[in-house]
Amino acid sequence: MIPSDHFVRFYNEIFKYLEDKGHEHLEDYFLEISRHQETHCLKQFSEGGLQGMYDYWMMIKKEENCDSDKFIEDGQYGKVLKSFMSGCPSLAKVQDNDAGSCPLYCYHCPGWVLPLMSKVGYYYVYDLISLDMPRCQTTICEHIEDARAQLKLVLKRHKGDRTLVKWNFPEKD
Amino acid sequence: MKPEEMRYCSTGEVHLDFHGSTYVGLKYLLDHFGMEAVDEVLTNTAEKVYKSIYERLQRGDSSELICHWRYYLEREKCDFTLTENPDGTAVLELRECPALRQLAKEKIDDRPLICHATEKMNSVWCEGSPFEIVVEHQEKGCRQTLRFK
Repeated sequence: MIPSDHFVRFYNEIFKYLEDKGHEHLEDYFLEISRHQETHCLKQFSEGGLQGMYDYWMMIKKEENCDSDKFIEDGQYGKVLKSFMSGCPSLAKVQDNDAGSCPLYCYHCPGWVLPLMSKVGYYYVYDLISLDMPRCQTTICEHIEDARAQLKLVLKRHKGDRTLVKWNFPEKD
Repeated sequence: MKPEEMRYCSTGEVHLDFHGSTYVGLKYLLDHFGMEAVDEVLTNTAEKVYKSIYERLQRGDSSELICHWRYYLEREKCDFTLTENPDGTAVLELRECPALRQLAKEKIDDRPLICHATEKMNSVWCEGSPFEIVVEHQEKGCRQTLRFK
C-alpha cells in the first residue's frame, strides 16, 4: 500500500510518465483529477459559494499540513476569496524525493481547480509564483471584473510572462 | 530502526482521501496506456522514490521496510499486527487495509487494481534481494509474509 503521506511522490511519477508521452496526456490527466475532485468539492462549492470553498480549503490546510492563509473580502463588484500558500507541503514532499520532481508538478493544481471553478461559475486567478518554490497565490471572485483586475495585477508582477499564471475567463469582453 | 531514521518520516495530520486519488491515477494509466504503464510507474516508485528501502533490501536489510509498514499503518489508524523476527523476517496481518477502507467510502469497487500496486512494488523491492513477500488476501486486508527465498 502506498501510504497517504506518500501519495504526492507517486502522483509525481505519473506526471513524469505522462509528460514523457506528450504534454496533452498530462493535461488530460489533470481533467480526470478534476472529475474525481468533483466528488469531494462540487456540492460544497455549488451550495456554499466562497464560504464553502473557504471551509473546504481550511480542512485541506489541516489535513495536508499547509502553511497558508485565506480570507474572504469585498472586491469592487463582489466577494473575493484570497489564498496565500507560503509553504506547500505537496511540492515540498516532491522536492524531498530520491526520484526527483516533475518540473511541471505545480500545474496540477490549476489543472484540476480551474475546470471545477468554471463549473460552479466562479472566476479564478492562479499565480504560481515559481515552479520550484512551494509558494503560490490564488484569487477566486464572484464577479468577472474583480477577476480581471486581479489578473492584470498578477501579469504585471510577472512582467507579462503568462507561463506562471492561470485563469478561467476571457481577459476582455 | 526508528521512524526518524527512515528516508521519509512524515508527521502531522493525514489526508486519507489520497487513497482514492491513488486509485484514480492507477486507473487512468490502465485505461489509457495499459498494465505496462501501471507497472512502469510502480517500478519507478518502488526503485527510485523508495530507493532507501529498495537498496537496503538488496543488501539483506529489511529494517526500513518493516519500520515503514509499522509507522505508516499506525498513522492511518488501521487494524494490524506486525510481528518482526530477529532474522529480519516479519509477518504483517492487516485486518483492515486503509486503502480499501477509503475506496469503500468512495464507493469504488476495484480491489484488484489497488492490491496489484502493493504486490508489484513488493516484487520490485524483492527482486535481486534475499527476500520475498507473500501476500494472502483476506476479507478487508491481507497477510504479508516477508521471508527469505
